[in-house]
Amino acid sequence: MTLERNLSIILKTKQEEFAIPDSVHLVPIDSDEKSLNDLVNGVLKESHADILKRKKFDFICLGELLRTSLDEHLKTKSITTEITLDIEYVLRTPAPAPEDTILHDDWVSGIHTCSDKWILTGCYDNTIKLWTSHGKAITSLKEHTNIVKEVKWISETDSHKGFVSVSHDLTGILWAWEDDTTTAKPFLTLKGHSRGIDCVGVSPNSERLATGGWDTTLKIWSACLEKDIGEPIAKKAKVNMDVRTPLHTLEGHKETISAVSWIDNHDIVTSSMDHTIKIWDAELNGIKNEIVGQKAFLSSSWSPLTKSLLATSADQYIRLYDPRSTEGLLCKTTFTSHTGWVSSVDWSPYSEYLFLSGGYDAKVKLWDTRSSKAPLYDMQGHDGQVLKVDWSNKKYLISGGADNRVHIFKNKDLL
Amino acid sequence: MGNNRKRKIDISKQNKEIEVKEETSEAEEDSADDQLLNTITNEEEDCSDSEGEIEDSEDEGDQHSEEESEESDFNISEDSESNDSEGSDGSSGTEENSGDSTEEEEEDSSSSEIEEATEEKETVENKQNSKKDVKKKVFRERKTEVKTLKSSTINEKLKEKSESAGNNEYDYDSSDEEDIRNTIGNVPKNWYNEYKHFGYDWDGKKIIKPEAGDHIDEFLKKMEDPDFWRTVKDPQTGQNVILSDEDIQIIKRIKAGKIPDVSFDEYAPWIEWFTRDVMQTPLRKFPEHKRSFLPSKDEAKKVSKFVHALKMGWIKTREEAALLRAKKEPQFYMLWQTDDQAEEMRRIHKHIPAPKSFTNISAFTTHAESYNPPSEYLFDDREMKQWDKHKDAPWKRKLHFVPQKYDSLRQVPSYKRYIKERFLRCLDLYLCPRAIKMKINIDPEDLVPKLPSPKDLQPFPTTLSVEYKGHTDMVRTISTDKMGQYLLSGSDDGTVKIWEVNTGRCLKTIKMDDIVRSVEWCPNNALSLVLIASGKKVVLINPHIGDYLVCSKTDSVLQEASKIASVMSERVKSTVEWSQPEDALYKSGVRLMLTHFKDVTQVTWHGKGDYFASVMPDGQNRSVLISQISRQSSQLPLTKSKGLVQCVLFHPTKPCLFVATQRNVRIYDLVKQTLVKKLMTNSKWISTMAIHPAGDNLLVGTYDRKVLWFDLDLSTKPYQVLRLHGTAVRGVAYHKRYPLFASGSDDRSLIISHGMVYNDLLKNPLIVPLKRLEDHQQTNDFGIFGVHFHPLQPWVFSSGADGTIKLYSN
Repeated sequence: MTLERNLSIILKTKQEEFAIPDSVHLVPIDSDEKSLNDLVNGVLKESHADILKRKKFDFICLGELLRTSLDEHLKTKSITTEITLDIEYVLRTPAPAPEDTILHDDWVSGIHTCSDKWILTGCYDNTIKLWTSHGKAITSLKEHTNIVKEVKWISETDSHKGFVSVSHDLTGILWAWEDDTTTAKPFLTLKGHSRGIDCVGVSPNSERLATGGWDTTLKIWSACLEKDIGEPIAKKAKVNMDVRTPLHTLEGHKETISAVSWIDNHDIVTSSMDHTIKIWDAELNGIKNEIVGQKAFLSSSWSPLTKSLLATSADQYIRLYDPRSTEGLLCKTTFTSHTGWVSSVDWSPYSEYLFLSGGYDAKVKLWDTRSSKAPLYDMQGHDGQVLKVDWSNKKYLISGGADNRVHIFKNKDLL
Repeated sequence: MGNNRKRKIDISKQNKEIEVKEETSEAEEDSADDQLLNTITNEEEDCSDSEGEIEDSEDEGDQHSEEESEESDFNISEDSESNDSEGSDGSSGTEENSGDSTEEEEEDSSSSEIEEATEEKETVENKQNSKKDVKKKVFRERKTEVKTLKSSTINEKLKEKSESAGNNEYDYDSSDEEDIRNTIGNVPKNWYNEYKHFGYDWDGKKIIKPEAGDHIDEFLKKMEDPDFWRTVKDPQTGQNVILSDEDIQIIKRIKAGKIPDVSFDEYAPWIEWFTRDVMQTPLRKFPEHKRSFLPSKDEAKKVSKFVHALKMGWIKTREEAALLRAKKEPQFYMLWQTDDQAEEMRRIHKHIPAPKSFTNISAFTTHAESYNPPSEYLFDDREMKQWDKHKDAPWKRKLHFVPQKYDSLRQVPSYKRYIKERFLRCLDLYLCPRAIKMKINIDPEDLVPKLPSPKDLQPFPTTLSVEYKGHTDMVRTISTDKMGQYLLSGSDDGTVKIWEVNTGRCLKTIKMDDIVRSVEWCPNNALSLVLIASGKKVVLINPHIGDYLVCSKTDSVLQEASKIASVMSERVKSTVEWSQPEDALYKSGVRLMLTHFKDVTQVTWHGKGDYFASVMPDGQNRSVLISQISRQSSQLPLTKSKGLVQCVLFHPTKPCLFVATQRNVRIYDLVKQTLVKKLMTNSKWISTMAIHPAGDNLLVGTYDRKVLWFDLDLSTKPYQVLRLHGTAVRGVAYHKRYPLFASGSDDRSLIISHGMVYNDLLKNPLIVPLKRLEDHQQTNDFGIFGVHFHPLQPWVFSSGADGTIKLYSN
């Protein structure tokens, strides 16, 4: 039989501007996204006179992006080819464009952005550096005595609220900073951890901090930049800083806490090397939920959009956990493309499908959750392990690694 | 069955006989009035009787044979007179048939009287010779014919005499009834002596007596009438009847004792229509009725009678009778009966076939062996010569015979060697005792222990995850801190490096004077100390990593300890020299320095982190030194040199010291100062050892490629020897949490094995090799030196001669 088999499909979209008439199309069964693209563009040309340029679309078939031919795609889903298939198409996420590279003196372990303007990086040479989004160095702060593991703005939009850095010197420092000045002042020292601090999370209302590290405890601090006594800030900016002690210490993990994120203002999710992910109630100071994995978790990222957690463990996979699901597997999807440990993962701030990951294989990958086998884009440029990726600002995809570089990619999706 | 059948046939014969008798008697009554005729009929009857008797006797003979056949089973002395009735009982099914056959028989006999008078004699005779079924039919026809004839002949005779009375012969029907003219019935004739008539005819008219003459008339008649002698008086009618010639002849024949019928062939060949033999095409068309196969109740009764009699012992079977007879005779028995029997049984149950003889080895005969082989198989001169050449070595010949050609099989002479070969064969069989070899059939697969699949033994390290690059020469030794956050490594390039485990970042490099042979992180959480053996020196360094409180506390503890002046013996003093570092060194982290008198190859901490042991293989009887930090003193536990000390270990819980010399491992009790145990490795050179965290199992790696697992409770010999490596094993390690152990060797391979130690003392440890990891480069024939497990995760570190350290994660 050399007869070409056909498949009837209905093309749909949620993007109104690219809507095409609802009709059944017959396509060869071995057609892939390219031929489907041709089809959609052809139809679009007829119906929309205003669209002059050829658009690129991605096709979502059975909840997953089409990356192979329709035939193979259906086979992996073990679905018959006899049915009429609903295929949704979306405008393809454009490839991020490399914008800038910032050279550091040592490995970059922490990155965070604030209000399109400022990029904060933590470095293994014990310094914290502040940059504009165009790569211009503002200041370098050397207050820590050991490697800085993570830096975080207290507020992602308001730089006046300062930032926090945590380090392996067992302390975290709360910094105060004014836009116009070139130096930031260490405002408070967070003391209480008995071993290195690995991660810090700021609550959505910018009032609380949560830190975790090698002493296996989760500590919650106040994030406010005001002294309890009410003394002026300038006075405090001395070498001998004031010390703040944790509001609460939550014990429960057996090994290092590798990542901490706030779900909302009173719930924290932590991932740990003891193979567990725990959800804590910061007000009642107890464990709410626990997910037990197979391997040590290295990092995690919570998405408030999808209410799910991406976690990377000491293997090559990124796993998507939905802590709300009560039955079946908690692990919804496994993303397999990295060839080394995935050191860092970050959800996109605006899309419920996109996220960024970086691994020890020197690759930064942009993923769509609907495509678990292959990422949307591989961003190359790093010459060593990627230690931190950041997508806290919509516009920038930033990654830093063991090659002392921070790569900034511009997100073309919103332009 | 056969018996039954035969019996039935006999019975039918008897029936036939009876019927024949009846018929004849009828005939007698009917036809005979005259005495003579009476006598004739009587004679006839006798005749048929005698015939029947003959048959009877035959039957009896049959019965006898039957009885005999029965007797073959039972020794029955009873008379079997009841056979007849028995037969009649079972013969109901064959009645019809037997009736037919009797009729035939009857005709044979009765028709013979009259046949001569008939004109159809010839045809009848012809028909007699014709086929059976035709015959049957003809018999039937003839029967009626004969009957009519029989009566008609008499009628004719009477008619002739009564024609005067003017009687029409057709006035009455005489077809099948006897001629009864006198209707008075069967009354004595003398009742009519006084009357002129002696009866009445059919019409009721008197039958007048013929005129009875006196004796003179009679005499005259006698004289005048030539037929007087053949004139007889019909007693029925009182009239004279002149006998015909045929009648006379019959009478004559009867008188002579012959069969009255002339045409009857007495000596005709006997055709046995009914035989015991089952005919291929049965005589009768229909099968025997089912009823005939039903067991007879009567027979059953008889059988039960016999059975009862047998049971009661009234009658005996032949065997019993024979036994009874034998009992009376003297009895003999085999002296070696049991032995014989055993042999017999063996021959039956455990038969050993005779070995194949040599001549039968080639399975198929070839053309050459034919008595008349094609000419190409016959030997030509050259072949013959070759045959003769191998006279002394017949096994070299291609054939073991010379092909011979004969024109016919008849000309083939007898095989000369036949007797000889038979004899030799018998001799072979006789002289070579045959026995069954007792073989144990063991499937080699069964001997392989059933090990669980590695899949079920997860987690264990499988993939290379992080590489720690920075050393420029081979890394001999590695160690981690208690949390697994930092990795310590010592290399031949004279540096000690501290790494961050998760990222592979080198955090600190400490330069030493000499190559670093051994490093170990202090197991005590409260102390931030690492032990480094470099050249002759053993250095304690505070790495200043991690909790600064612990670090500062360690410093203060050490400073306090240094104030304690300890007294050491001369012997120890000559072995080791404690010293405080200079300021420069102190700043770089060095806290204590011990300078030994020989190169130190290994240092190891005691579990509590206060004591450590150092090994100097060249130190003779001072090769093992135990030092105490808190008191800053040392001691030499061994007084005698037992050999080249390779490696020492502290027991994790007990105060025991394991000392590995070149060949053996000795376990010393440090408190009692005694040798507890000596483990025999049976290998040439021990390289390293590791102890299970529970303390009952010891892993020993040797330079002769073996990894030995000792179960200390079990014996002093290795519980298991693992020969997984191709070359010298240089590093072995146990995981502290997971049931894993690993060994690294010069063949670059790191082998991860599952080593489960059960709490149940009766259960032996389970050892399953899981994974071979070969990522290190080989440098100067060296592969892997140090093997160390992550203290918490199922990860393993390996340090190699290529200057890298690799982390394998699950």
